[in-house]
Amino acid sequence: MSNQKRDVLLIVDDDTVNRGILEQIFQADYTIAEAEDGPSGLRRILEAPDQLCAVLLDVVMPGMDGLEVLRRLYREQLPDRLPIFLITAEASDSVLREAYSLGVMDVISKPVVPYVVHRRVKSVIELFQARRRLSRTVESQRERLLRQAEEIIDLNQGMVEALAAAIEFRSEESGDHVRRIHDITKCLLSETELGRGLDRRAVEEIALASILHDVGKIAVPDAILNKPGRLTAEEFEIMKSHTVQGAALLNRIPQLRRHRACRYAVDIARHHHERWDGRGYPDGLKGDEISLWAQVVSLADVYDALSCKRVYKDAFPREQVLEMIRDGACGVFNPELLRCFFMVEEKLSRIYQKEEFS
Amino acid sequence: MTSARNRQLENGGIRVPQALERVLGNEALLERLLGKFLDDPQYPALCAALEHGDLDRAVTAAHTLKGMCGNLSMEELYALFTQQTDALRGGDLAGARGLMAQIKPAYERVTAAIREQPDEEA
Repeated sequence: MSNQKRDVLLIVDDDTVNRGILEQIFQADYTIAEAEDGPSGLRRILEAPDQLCAVLLDVVMPGMDGLEVLRRLYREQLPDRLPIFLITAEASDSVLREAYSLGVMDVISKPVVPYVVHRRVKSVIELFQARRRLSRTVESQRERLLRQAEEIIDLNQGMVEALAAAIEFRSEESGDHVRRIHDITKCLLSETELGRGLDRRAVEEIALASILHDVGKIAVPDAILNKPGRLTAEEFEIMKSHTVQGAALLNRIPQLRRHRACRYAVDIARHHHERWDGRGYPDGLKGDEISLWAQVVSLADVYDALSCKRVYKDAFPREQVLEMIRDGACGVFNPELLRCFFMVEEKLSRIYQKEEFS
Repeated sequence: MTSARNRQLENGGIRVPQALERVLGNEALLERLLGKFLDDPQYPALCAALEHGDLDRAVTAAHTLKGMCGNLSMEELYALFTQQTDALRGGDLAGARGLMAQIKPAYERVTAAIREQPDEEA
């Protein structure tokens, strides 16, 4: 519609002489269409209003008069986008008042003075054209800005993933772990009651934040991170410090601090090894003291670790994974969290089946 | 437009320079519009409406004629039809009928002038 040529000027008048004069005035600038009574004028306007650049409308016509045509157009909200001029030999106060209240652009008196009519009509047509051009420009600029914003968001997410994947590579794992944590977290929050009270945007932010849960491992030496055997007590303390280190690291990046996902990321990095019974680390938080998102990521992390091969262990079969989680072999979880987890686990397990084939 | 034709139309009651200005100096168009005035059904419609006492139809016809005469710079007729339209709007059928005594000769004079063949330039 926006590119359609819009240069038809419609003259609705029962007076052939007046139509002839108006046509002569405007034929150099516009394509002229004529209607000799109200009903045919109205039909012509309604069938293709976007072809018209303006309507010159006589008031007194037998049958349907100009005011009645105008009332119908007003009901279609056409005077907002199509300038309508009333052409009349005499206009009473009440006619003028109604015409203007129905959105008429201007009232031009008969007999017409050519250069006056020409100037007044042409100015308004140009005004409407400029307005349409401007709103098209604004619209396309808005679209461009939105596209750029989306690109920035994509880039952000890409950089977050790249950072997390770089850390994972040190543990000789692929970058898939963080992507799975993202998907499991998102699934638990958007498809179970756990996400009650979180809007879609918050769920997206938590899922993004979950990617960074192990970012503190950058501070753990390779020898400990990749040690196949059991860690000594001292080594384990260093390993545990990745929670506090991760939160501190995230807090230190000012650009990240402004991001809405940051408060989730800091909380998750610090608390994804807390336990429901209060025996986790680093802060020994208990029960609801641990935020919902930290609990969710904690379970997702355990579930993923059990389901995949790690440097210190092979992958467990699915039945065994579920049994270990149910029995608390890998940590004590919120019973409500477990209930929701088992509700969607069937779906989550498909993540791993897919990977076997790929 | 020859000066003879100009004079004919002026004598018929048309202010030719004004009328030409309104059609941006296009003489052929002015002649065509004058021709349309001759063929226009509004004048007979007005006469019939006045005769039958059809006030609504008479108002519309008188009003349209007023507009045409104004556009074609037929000054006397324009003034008369303006008067008549106002009378009809006020419901004064008798007054409107009375005006026909002036309107009829003026109308005949102007239509005769339009119909007249242009004289050979002397």
